[in-house]
This record gives sequence, C-alpha cells and structure tokens, in this order.
Amino acid sequence: MEYVIIVIGAVLIKNILLAEYLGCCPFMGTSKKMNTAVGMGLAVIFVLTAATAVTYPIHHHIFTRFGLEYLQTITFILVIAALVQFVEMFLKKAIPALYQSLGIFLPLITTNCAVLGVAILCIRRDYSFVESIVFAFSSAAGFTLALVLLAGIRERLIIADVPKPLQGTAIGLITGGLMALAFFGFSGVDGSLNALVQQ
Amino acid sequence: MLITTTVFLLLLGMIAGIALAIASRVFYVWEDPTVLEITDALPGANCGGCGYAGCSAAASAIAKGLAPCDMCVAGGFDVTQAIGEIMGQSVGEKEPELAMTTCNFGMNEADSIYSYNGASDCNAAVMLYGGSKLCPIGCIGLGSCVKVCQFGAVAIGDDMLPVFDPERCVACGACVEACPKDIISLTSATMRITSEYTSEECTAPCQRSCPTGIDIPGYIREVQNGNFEEGIRIIKEKCPLPLICGRICPAPCELSCRRNLVDDAVGINSLKRFLADYEMTTGKHVNPYKCIDSGHKTAVIGGGAEGLTAAYYLARLGHQPTIFEAKPKLGGILRYVISEDRIPQDVLDHEIEGILDMGVEARTSKTMGLDFTLGSLFDDGHDTIIMTTGGFDSRKILRPGGGIAAHVPNIFLMLDFLALESEGKPVAVGEHVVIVDSGKRALDVARSCRSLGAKKVSIVSNHGIDELPEELAERDTLSAEGIDVRSSTIIAALGGVSDNLTRAVFEECRPHDNEPVQSETIEVDTIIVASGRLPELVFTSVANEDQSDSDQKACSWQTVDIFRTLPRGGDNGVFSAPEKGRVSDSSAVVKSIMSGRRIVRGIQMCFSGEPITPVAHLAEETSDILNVTRVEHVDVSLRQRAPIRVAEAGSENNWGDAQAIPGLDEPASRLEAERCLACGLICYKKAM
Repeated sequence: MEYVIIVIGAVLIKNILLAEYLGCCPFMGTSKKMNTAVGMGLAVIFVLTAATAVTYPIHHHIFTRFGLEYLQTITFILVIAALVQFVEMFLKKAIPALYQSLGIFLPLITTNCAVLGVAILCIRRDYSFVESIVFAFSSAAGFTLALVLLAGIRERLIIADVPKPLQGTAIGLITGGLMALAFFGFSGVDGSLNALVQQ
Repeated sequence: MLITTTVFLLLLGMIAGIALAIASRVFYVWEDPTVLEITDALPGANCGGCGYAGCSAAASAIAKGLAPCDMCVAGGFDVTQAIGEIMGQSVGEKEPELAMTTCNFGMNEADSIYSYNGASDCNAAVMLYGGSKLCPIGCIGLGSCVKVCQFGAVAIGDDMLPVFDPERCVACGACVEACPKDIISLTSATMRITSEYTSEECTAPCQRSCPTGIDIPGYIREVQNGNFEEGIRIIKEKCPLPLICGRICPAPCELSCRRNLVDDAVGINSLKRFLADYEMTTGKHVNPYKCIDSGHKTAVIGGGAEGLTAAYYLARLGHQPTIFEAKPKLGGILRYVISEDRIPQDVLDHEIEGILDMGVEARTSKTMGLDFTLGSLFDDGHDTIIMTTGGFDSRKILRPGGGIAAHVPNIFLMLDFLALESEGKPVAVGEHVVIVDSGKRALDVARSCRSLGAKKVSIVSNHGIDELPEELAERDTLSAEGIDVRSSTIIAALGGVSDNLTRAVFEECRPHDNEPVQSETIEVDTIIVASGRLPELVFTSVANEDQSDSDQKACSWQTVDIFRTLPRGGDNGVFSAPEKGRVSDSSAVVKSIMSGRRIVRGIQMCFSGEPITPVAHLAEETSDILNVTRVEHVDVSLRQRAPIRVAEAGSENNWGDAQAIPGLDEPASRLEAERCLACGLICYKKAM
C-alpha cells in the first residue's frame, strides 16, 4: 500500500514537473510534437530509474560510511553524467532499435535537474532501495504524463487563434501553469489515502 | 576535508573515466564512415522530402546504394555533388522542381458560401462543408502550407493566396501533403510540357478549348505586367510556334472566352501574336529551360508543324532530335501550302530558327525509303523514330518517282496495291499478309495475295462480326481458303528487325466499349492498310534476347502506341481512322502542334520506363466541369482591333502585300490584356 501511495504521490500530487518545477527545460523544448514528447518521456523513465539505482548505493554505502554527505550534489552530477554516457554506448551495442528511438534524447538528460532532483529526494525522504526505485520510476512516469498532456495541448494550440505576443513558448508556459493549477486539485489526496491505510 | 574531497573526486573521476574508456571498447559498434560523411554533407533539415525518416536514415540508404546520390531535394546540386564525391559516382544536374498552385482568386475575391471565423488552419476549415469557398478546389488561404514549410518558401500574400519563393523552394513536397484541397503540386519543365489539363484542376474556358493547352490567362497576365519575355516563355511551354499560331490559328479559345457573355471575346490570339512579334523584333529567341541530355537520340520524320513541335519538345527534354524532311526546306504545309500573305517567309524562318536554336538538328531533302530507311536510322543510333508526316498524303512521299518505296517496312496502302496489280506489276507479298479493312474489297485483295504466294492471309477489322459484309462473315469457308477473318480486333503494335516487319500484336476488343480482352503476337511480313495516311507512328528500338550472334547488328524495333496516353485515342490501335489521323486531323496548325506535343508525352513516359497510361480525368468538352453561364459586374469595353489597311485608290492589288495583316501595337495590347477576366472555373475578375 505504501508503494501505491508513493506512486500516486509522485505521478499526480507532487508531479515533478507541475508541482516540483524540476526539468522545465525539456517540458517546453520537447513538447511541440507528440512523437518527441513520448520519446523524451520514455528516455526520462529509463535514465531516472537507472540513475536512482546507482546513486542510492553510493550514498548509503560510501557517503554515510565515510561521512562524505556534503559531496552529494557534485558526485551525483558526475555519476549520472557518466551513467548516461555508459547507457548510450550499451544501448548502441545491445539494443540498436531502442537506441534509434531514444538516442537523440539521452544526451539531453545528462545534466537534467529532474534526474538529479529525484536522486536527491530519495535520499532526503529516507526511502528504502525498493521505495527509491518505485519513486524514481513513478516520478519519471509523472514527468512523461505531464509532457504528453502538454504536447497534446500544444498540437491543438497550433491551429488556435493565439494573440501575436503570446504565440510560441509564451502560450506554452501559460498552458503549463494552468496544468499545474489543475494538478493542485490532487493535493490532499495523499493525506486521505494515508488516513485510509491507517484505519 | 579539502584533501579528502580532492582525493575522492579525483578517484571518482578516474573510475568513471576508465569505466567509460573500457565501455567504449567493449561496446564499440562499427559504423560506416561514409554514412557519417554523407550525414555531414546533407543539410540536416530532416524535412523528409526524400521519403526517408530524416537525414541520417537517408545517408545510410545512400551509403548502401539503396538511394541515388541526388535524392536530397532540399540540398540542391551542391549537396548532390558532395555526396557524389563521397560515393565516387558522377552526378548529373537534376531538373529543378517548384511548388505551385493554380488558384488565382483569394478568399476576399472569390464567392463564398459562409463566413468562417474558426481556427486559423486550412485543415480545420475544410471540416465544415469543405471550406467556405463556393469553388470546391479553391485556396482557403489560411496557410497550412506556410506552417509546414521548413525553408520559409511559402507566404500568404495580400490576395490571400500562397506565394512561393522559387529561390527558397526545394520541392520537398511538404506543402503538397499539407494542403487539404490538393491544389499545390510540384512542377518541373518536363511536367509542364507533358501535362494536359484535367477536370480536377482550375482552368479557364479558353485554356480548356485550346488544343495545345496554352496557359492563356498566364500569358495575358504577363502582357498586363509588361513582362513580355515571360509571356513568351509561358506560351512556349505548350506551343513552340507562337508567330505562326498568332497569325493563322482559328482561335477556338476566343469562341469560349467568357467575355463573350458581356461584349466580345478577348483578342487572345492577337495578344499571342503581339508577344511573338515582340520576340521577333528583339531579334533573339526566348529559350525556356532545357533539360540535360538524356542520352537518347530521336529521329523525327517530317518537318511540318507537328514534326517541328515534336522535335522542339524532344530537344527541351534532352532527347537530341533530328528532323528528316523530304523537301529542301523545313515547314511543310506552313511553307509550301499556306499563302505568304498569311505567313511571310521571314516569320516562318525566324520561327524555325528558334526551334533549331533549342538543339534540333535538321536534314532536309532526305526522303524516307530513298535516302534512309527505318533500319538505317536505328543503325545510326536513334532510339526512337517518330513519323509526323501528318498533313501531306504519305503516298506522295512514298512514291516520289512513281516507283513504290514503302517507308514503313512492308506496309502498303491498298490503293497502291490495287494500282500496281492492275498495272501488272504486283507487290511482292510475304508469307503471312494482314489486311486491315472491313469492306468486301478486302476479300479480293486477300485472294490476290493468296495467288501471289502468301501462305496465310488475315483480314483484321475493328468492327463486330455483325457489322461485316456477309462474304466476310462466313469464316469457316474462308478459313478453308487460307483466309482468316478477325472481327473486333485491332493491331495494337508492330515489331520488326531492321527494314523488315516481323510481327504484329492483335488485340481483340469487346465490341461495346473497345476494352481489350485478349492479345496475341503474330508473325507477319506484309500489312496492307485500306486507306489513308500513315502518320504518327512511333518506333523504338528494343533489346532482343533471342538473337543469334550473326545478326547482332540488325536492330529490332517495335511500335509504341503512345496514343494510349489519351482516352479514346488508342482504342483503335496503330491503324485507327487513318483518314482522320489519330490525334490530329491536321485541320489547323494548332491541332498539329497538339499532337506533336502529345507524341512527346508518350515518348517521355516510354523513356522514363513508366507504363503508358491515359491522362486521368482529362479535361474535354464532354467532361463535367464547373462553369458559369452568366457574368455580373463586368463593364463593357470594346475589343482592340488592329487598324485595317485600306488599299490605296487606284492600286492594282486590292489584297495588299504580304505584310497587309498587321498585329496590335504595345499600348493596344496592354489595353486588350486588361479586358481579360482572368477566369478560373467559376471565378472571374469583377469590377469593384
């Protein structure tokens, strides 16, 4: 049940894009077309889960043992960057089809703040390893959901009569803001779910 | 702390570095360096105009040899050359293509059925009754084409119509795909030369009734704008003889001019003559785009209007034509029949010079059957031989000195056959004779052929068995005589080796609609045709597989039924309605020009390896095309006419001299051009 709460919390309530405001760059950059948005979303799911799986043991087995927690941010950046590079090479060799579809998005995520943010959040919230993985996966799924929704709206916006000064990214940001407002409707759901579980 | 941090990060960096270095070895994937090079050479626009998903996909296709070097439409010739260098292939320049639309009346001018205030996109607008325009193929002007163009080549102009920038357009076809009305198309010179108007595009009544299909509103617009050279160029897309046409064309276009509903037709032909005269006074020839050499060599037999036209367009398409003319000068009927009052010699000479200027070679005083034969032409390296002997009676060419010389190997006219027989000098017939006729006389000829030694005689008629004379209908008794009668059958093609006819393709057709049901290739060595001329035959050389080494040099050929390209044209095979001619009845120069150009269309399809198919939805008089029968808000304005030169009193020659029929001058032409209503299907210019 805790996992369900984590998933719902990460996808809907504390959506990494719409509530945490992490990773806004690809949110605007890759949401112009549905195809791109889906590709980016899948790449984020892949990298985020893998990055958390790597950073979690580093923190718990190295940092806590040697008292190096203050190196968390810089180390995570380095590790995630190296990991993405590694994954890119691995995919190219092992699963060329996946590389073809995700290839151009992987380098984009190398220094993405959503990836770093989720890795750090897992540590801060004292999740267990499995919980971290679930949280990372569902955060990325939430990212994909928001991205795909925005892409759908923006594809429609193309044919809408938008005032000249607001065309393009401007209307995209406004739309993103309205989406965030809509997602705030979910806040409190986690509290009720927790209460339900405790009963 | 500082030391720990430094050491830790150094260590981490080293581990990551080493791990990545090892990984790059372990997971090394060999990539074709040419793919990378080609990817770099490509523009990287990922426009998809080539049909591949992006530039890198295209690059790997090129590297594997699946796609040609010139497949990138966006990059142009420089990119093609760069790729050609990488691939080590020589590349030819590709014919430029451009996007174009035919709609000439924007939303603010055309009639609409409702006013649209919805989403600003054509695809959205067509969802409501196909758009707000009354015309079903009118441009909605909301610019879906502009949005998809990655090269900034399209813009919606002040008249609410798309304007294409030829400098920027790379002909990727994105706008063609995007337009919900299907009114944008890619055009090239080849396409413009070989196209016919269809009932699905916007055409003015005058355009549709012009046998050659000149873009009449187009050149009139150029007269209005004062771009006379551009006007000439537009005419020459369809008619290479504007000086001649401007003088002697019966101008069926003017009969169907919509202005007739108000006052008097626009002087379409006078304007053509003005443009042509303008070109002549400049002393140089306006030569439109010419394609690069295709490597094909063609021979055109006959240097009349039809032959000149065919040669002109063959030259423009790069097929290196040579005209063979029996008379000492080119021009045919234009020179030797039509009076000099109507076509002065210097005008004709200038016109022909313009055609030769395009890269046409001419050999005059060469008679087919005497100075050269079909076989000798093929031996000289011509791929295709076209007979454009239309206007003159072929027999005049056939028997220049009284003796018989079959210019088409072993094909005789029945008249000659009978005449020679009565003179006691019968034609030597082969073993299998085919007679193309439906009359009783066919039987007499068949019997004399039998007595002359023919083993088998076939009588071929495109009439049904019920329509044949009784004598011919008794098939069984005739077949006992060695005479085979075939009804509802046409000869679809002929074939031969060098100067000998060897085979014919019989096609049996359904009597009611002439659809071929069965075809059969038959060994034939003599064909006797009932009547008429034999113009407009097209022979191409074929590679023959079953040839022994000894006669490898002898060229095998076959006829191409290029008139299959026209509905109704090819139904009756090679010898259909010979008196009328199959495409042109040569009753007007403009019709000969039409058939000359249409022959070239068939040959172009033949050379490019496409199957020869009719033009779909060809715009004909009988086609169902939107039109108007009433015009409103058009002010009456009188037609400009050239001043008639009255013969001076006492002059002996009341008919004036050769230059007696003058054309319009420039101011009058401009005034006359202003009278044009620039019609579309239902649109026309209204007085505001």
